[in-house]
Amino acid sequence: MTREGFIALVEREQEALRGFLLYLCCGNKDEADDISQDALVKAYLSSAGYQEKGRFRSWLFKIAHNTFLNHKASCRTTESLDEARTLISNTSADASFAHQDLYLALRTLPPKERSAITLFYLNGYNIKEIAAITDTSEDAVKKQLSRGRDKLKEKLKP
Amino acid sequence: MNKDKELEELFLAQKPHFDDNEAFIASLNKRLDAVEYVKQHQEATIRRYKWAMVAAFVVGIISGAITIAFVLSMPAEIPLFSFSARSAVLVWLSEHSRIIVTTALSLFMGFAVFSIFGNVMDIVKMRKRVMEIH
Repeated sequence: MTREGFIALVEREQEALRGFLLYLCCGNKDEADDISQDALVKAYLSSAGYQEKGRFRSWLFKIAHNTFLNHKASCRTTESLDEARTLISNTSADASFAHQDLYLALRTLPPKERSAITLFYLNGYNIKEIAAITDTSEDAVKKQLSRGRDKLKEKLKP
Repeated sequence: MNKDKELEELFLAQKPHFDDNEAFIASLNKRLDAVEYVKQHQEATIRRYKWAMVAAFVVGIISGAITIAFVLSMPAEIPLFSFSARSAVLVWLSEHSRIIVTTALSLFMGFAVFSIFGNVMDIVKMRKRVMEIH
């Protein structure tokens, strides 16, 4: 794949990718954009292995998901919910302020459940596709979705 | 698995939109420029390394062959080296000096060829990795 071709595909998919990572990073836009850029560089470097038959977006999401998990593993900081609330309040003077409750609720989920929930509800992937993107079994995805949904509903209760 | 309607609506209602798409792509292009630069530098280094190995191989083979030919062309009755001390071992070494020097040179050349072959295999692997990146 040429660089121009790659950029053209990225231009088409960047909003979806950045949105996915923004949710995984619970509204931290700078962190999400950093991970997006890292993931896109990784994707560019391995674009020779990209099969045209596969969907570019799924392939990109898979790389982004792995980059996110690596990023989380490399900075294992356990922030309390209060710290998260402060962080989001400070950085969300824009439209993301409206998403605060959802981001805070998502923050209580483990990264894998957060990925499954975001891919399912935000990006509209089905269980089989999520299993392929996150490299897990369909049963595991079902469990993650079920647990994640219950936790979210509990947190989002008025 | 059925979707939870409430959650789905919540996610869809809060679908993020970005107004800095161009800046994001510009930043990505900058990163890719840096990646390209490193890649080109790697390729150039590999190319230089490859030619250095080829030159070392050719020069080594030619100079080794010339030295061996020179040693073998010297008169057989004159030893290449001799010792002032007289002992059976040293006398034997002096008498067989041509064979000893030739064998040592051949072993050294063999070792050098083996090392260069190893380095060339490393270069091939590096090139393969760089080509995969392309």
